[in-house]
Amino acid sequence: MPKIIIDGQEIECRPGIPVLQAALEAGMDIPHYCYHPGLKIVASCRLCLMEMKMPHPKTKEMAWAPKLFPSCQTPAKDGMEVRFDSDAVRANVRHVMEYYLLNHPLDCPVCDKAGECYLQDYTEDHGSAASRMVDEKQKNPKKDIGPQTLLYSDRCVLCSRCVRFCDEISGTSELRVINRGSRGEIDVFPGRPLDNALQGNVVELCPVGALLDKEFLFRQRVWTLKTTKSISPVDSRGQSIYIDYNEEGIHRIRPRFNEKVNEWWISDEARFGWKHVHRDDRLNQPRVRGSDGLVPQRWEELPEFLRKRLADAAKQVSDSVAVVLSPMMSCEEAWLLAKAVRDVAPQAVLFHGFVPVVGEDRTFPKGFVVKAEKCPNRRGIETICEHLGGNTANWGDFLGMASSGKIKAAYVVGGYPNEWLTSEAVAAIGQVEFLVVQDLFPTALTEHAAVEIPSVSWTEREGMFMNCDGLLQEFERALNPLEGTKADGQFFFELAGNVGLFRAKKVREEMAAALPVFADVFIPQELPEHAH
Amino acid sequence: MAWRTIDRTKVSPEEMGPGLSAAVREKIQAFFPRYPTKQAALIPALHIIQDALGYISLQAMEDVAELLELHPSQVMDVVSFYSMFWTHPRGKKTIMLCRSLSCELMGGKNVRDALVEKLGIKEHETTDDGEWSFMTEECLAACEHAPCMLINEKLHKCVRVEDLNRILSDPDNDKLEMPRSDLFDAPRTAQT
Repeated sequence: MPKIIIDGQEIECRPGIPVLQAALEAGMDIPHYCYHPGLKIVASCRLCLMEMKMPHPKTKEMAWAPKLFPSCQTPAKDGMEVRFDSDAVRANVRHVMEYYLLNHPLDCPVCDKAGECYLQDYTEDHGSAASRMVDEKQKNPKKDIGPQTLLYSDRCVLCSRCVRFCDEISGTSELRVINRGSRGEIDVFPGRPLDNALQGNVVELCPVGALLDKEFLFRQRVWTLKTTKSISPVDSRGQSIYIDYNEEGIHRIRPRFNEKVNEWWISDEARFGWKHVHRDDRLNQPRVRGSDGLVPQRWEELPEFLRKRLADAAKQVSDSVAVVLSPMMSCEEAWLLAKAVRDVAPQAVLFHGFVPVVGEDRTFPKGFVVKAEKCPNRRGIETICEHLGGNTANWGDFLGMASSGKIKAAYVVGGYPNEWLTSEAVAAIGQVEFLVVQDLFPTALTEHAAVEIPSVSWTEREGMFMNCDGLLQEFERALNPLEGTKADGQFFFELAGNVGLFRAKKVREEMAAALPVFADVFIPQELPEHAH
Repeated sequence: MAWRTIDRTKVSPEEMGPGLSAAVREKIQAFFPRYPTKQAALIPALHIIQDALGYISLQAMEDVAELLELHPSQVMDVVSFYSMFWTHPRGKKTIMLCRSLSCELMGGKNVRDALVEKLGIKEHETTDDGEWSFMTEECLAACEHAPCMLINEKLHKCVRVEDLNRILSDPDNDKLEMPRSDLFDAPRTAQT
């Protein structure tokens, strides 16, 4: 591990990283725009320049070199001494900031980036309060560059992060710098819009408010938003995300750094895959079939009722009770539900739920993968079923057994964002005498269901998902469950005969004691805000 | 400022302009063996296109991108970087007037004003009859003959305002005294 001295302070850093990265990791807020650890280094913004000690050409003594060096392009070498806290460096930052503000419009009050903008931050720290510019500002146009993204080129600082992202990460090269020098602008080729499966990332990559998400445009000021760490349920890799929300609901999803899965990026599916949470037709009350159809039932009466009915079914034929564990459930929920049902029907068969697959896995040039499997927790469900043992089988077997009438009572969990049942599946499941359906939306199963229980989306729950590579990751609750619903975990907790509040951490401890693999939850490294 | 957004996601066929002919494609492909990558043949390819079409249309950029296995935006990046590539049609003859130091000192600005008045167009514009286009360039490397200007590829030295009428009306004002070298648009054959 090389040791370098920054501003007289000895710092140990990872080998092979640039001085800037070492300084950022050591907690120093060094201004920078063009440098991003996930992209190639161009050293074009000139904000991160530093002073470095070098051997004097004549005396060979170590002395501060008269010139400034870009710290993003200088690899950290053992024993090197650099400084950012000097007059020359401060003067450079001040001058460069003045240059960036020459043509920048003063439209922070209407800019979506305001509040999380690095031009604002650095201007406050290093810029001057008034502009010395007397000429007319150069006003570059606003451009519609893609189905999801707008470019306000007047706000752009030409760091070229977005261009490099499209070249290196998505490999699609839609964005370019056109023209030259002070006339430079980011642009797409006319008629070839920015439209790839990862394009939303350029919005977060942009250190200023030049690239904007059309959906988030003018929706909220960022300081009114609360943020929760979560895992995206859109595919089986479990991309780490931040959910930004307030009392009105979710407003956007942003990538969260995860060195083992998605690094700094997320797919557009994950970014925009929260719309179903606010759909109007969400189920919002449990209903039980009476003589004239499904009638609303109080949550408090459900656990006892279900336990009794499932136990009755198990008494007739011991293995005629089925539980379908959806891969949209968290590990804790699957564990609790399986335990609860096995408690009253010990021979109950555990089935792996339906696994949605769309197309094929897509791998991007630097290794980002968008999985074809569109559910977060297939591995977790399989692990739990394997551990609990007894009768377990997959979704296909469930449909087969249901249509042959072998299953008398079934607890089927859905929770998918889209329509997931084929008509054959509905016909097969319809054969079950006592059918409990737990889902987000009304489905074709509703008319066959004896009990219909509303499920809640992953943003309203907490727990953990095991991704396709067996990595266990936890997610936190952002929103309160929709009015009239109950978090799935809480309901299963009560169904299992417990009293009180469901806490994922407590259940996790219990699971880890039984199955050590559940003790190993991966928590990605958290990046400080200044290391953007 | 009013809310105006340029829509870059769509483009009409008229805006795309003419594409590359088979002959031009062949000429470009002949350059491939000369470079380690196809991308490296971009600048010669753009010269060939500008020679053939007079300018580089959007369709031509798309075609050449396909030929060189690039994204059209990468071609646009290069085209827009160099001011001598034209992205819109130009007249039969293009006047490129030097605006650099020596020419400016020797009266280049007067020549520019006179030209703008005579032709009735501004920089990077074309006369209505399609005869003349006009632009200024940083240096034509003929400071000893300042002020100087190019008409297409022919250099006019020591241009005076009073000479302009004569130069503009001369039908041979763009005729080269020495023909272009064969190497200009034909690649050298690989040396054995």
